[in-house]
Amino acid sequence: MSSERADLDERDFQASLDGRLSPERAAAVEAYLAAHPDEKARYERDAELRRALRAAWAAELDEPVPSGLRVARLSAERRRRQYWQVGAIAAALVLFVLGGIGGWTARNAGLGLMSSTRSARAATEREITADALAAHRVFSVEVRHPVEVDAAQQAHLVQWLSRRLGHPLRVPDLNAAGFQLMGGRLLPSEDGPAAQFMYQNGNTRLTLYERADSAGETAFRYTEQNGIGLFYWSDQDFGYALAGKLGREQLLKIAELVYHQLSSEGAKPPTAGKAS
Amino acid sequence: MAIEAASIEAHIPGLRRFARALVRGDRERADDLVQDSLERALSRWHLRRPEGDLRSWLYTILYNRFLSEQHRQRRRGVHNSLNEAAESELPQVRGGQDQALEHRDLLRAFAALSAEQRSVLFLVGVEDLSYEEAARVLGVPIGTVMSRLSRGRERLRHFMNRDIDEPEPAPRRAK
Repeated sequence: MSSERADLDERDFQASLDGRLSPERAAAVEAYLAAHPDEKARYERDAELRRALRAAWAAELDEPVPSGLRVARLSAERRRRQYWQVGAIAAALVLFVLGGIGGWTARNAGLGLMSSTRSARAATEREITADALAAHRVFSVEVRHPVEVDAAQQAHLVQWLSRRLGHPLRVPDLNAAGFQLMGGRLLPSEDGPAAQFMYQNGNTRLTLYERADSAGETAFRYTEQNGIGLFYWSDQDFGYALAGKLGREQLLKIAELVYHQLSSEGAKPPTAGKAS
Repeated sequence: MAIEAASIEAHIPGLRRFARALVRGDRERADDLVQDSLERALSRWHLRRPEGDLRSWLYTILYNRFLSEQHRQRRRGVHNSLNEAAESELPQVRGGQDQALEHRDLLRAFAALSAEQRSVLFLVGVEDLSYEEAARVLGVPIGTVMSRLSRGRERLRHFMNRDIDEPEPAPRRAK
């Protein structure tokens, strides 16, 4: 009987349970099980549980769908949100043009009409941008202690910051853009710990600021303040801000480099690729 | 809009069921997950490959939303234990008393599997997705789908047989 077993493996038994085996292999599985009563009993129990599981879940399909989950309703809400956004911005503009304090008040009122997710998105973005700029200004001019842990201990740096942020971090390699990693540090923020990595090319320093950002994904957003340019983006529940005294085009190229390195594999939820 | 509404609508009962299988029967959380996924599907409708299978696409979105939600909760230190899924939240079962009880036991055992095992057992065993489709939805290789399937079924059988005192199975069918 062992010859029958030799060309069967666990996948054949699973596929047989699911009725996804060719007739020849199904016959081989059947013959093997006929000769091995213990395994046959387990196989039949699995088949029985498979049928029972289908039956147990079957009732769920008959339940009426609540109105909040109807597509027509969701699409209408989407349209309304878009409409309100346009409306709110238009109203703000008109009133702003009317001028003065009246205009300012109306603008605030107009912003209030925007959906809460939109304003949460904007608030998170403002916060991360401001924090990243502040951290850049403070630490990029530091001569003796620009970083807490330097690049020589990169493995430790990554492990430490990943643990503190509760998220597997990776340090992008920016050598292609002429920037070498100096190291990184842990920073406090309104929404828990944040990390800052610093890079250097001659006298120019770049910082990459990262922290949790669950307000939704965004494309690159550019800001400039006192000669410091900054690109912000959010991806897979993490917000990133790359800042430096560079031209917009040059900074954008580096931001794209960072984005591609971070989103290639590590930005996926860590459980996704792991066998269990 | 009309075509998209009708074609997505047909999959909502299935999406709700998948969501419940993932969140272990917590209905409110499951429906939040479905709503979140539908909004995402509507906003990304233009990114869908027209020739691709709509059901797989929707299930993929839902599974990814589930993973990132779990990820967020872990970061916040929220732990969901099996016991949090209250008895009343497990799927309702129909049929005779005995059958209802057996289904209840089975769903409780199912809820005790890992999310990876539950999703594979559900997609393949209940939803009849092919192994390739399941692999695509879950974003893992087919080999991983197969091993999760095998281990998930083994564990489920184990949970269900505990009271009839099944001996520990000999390492079965080693490759």
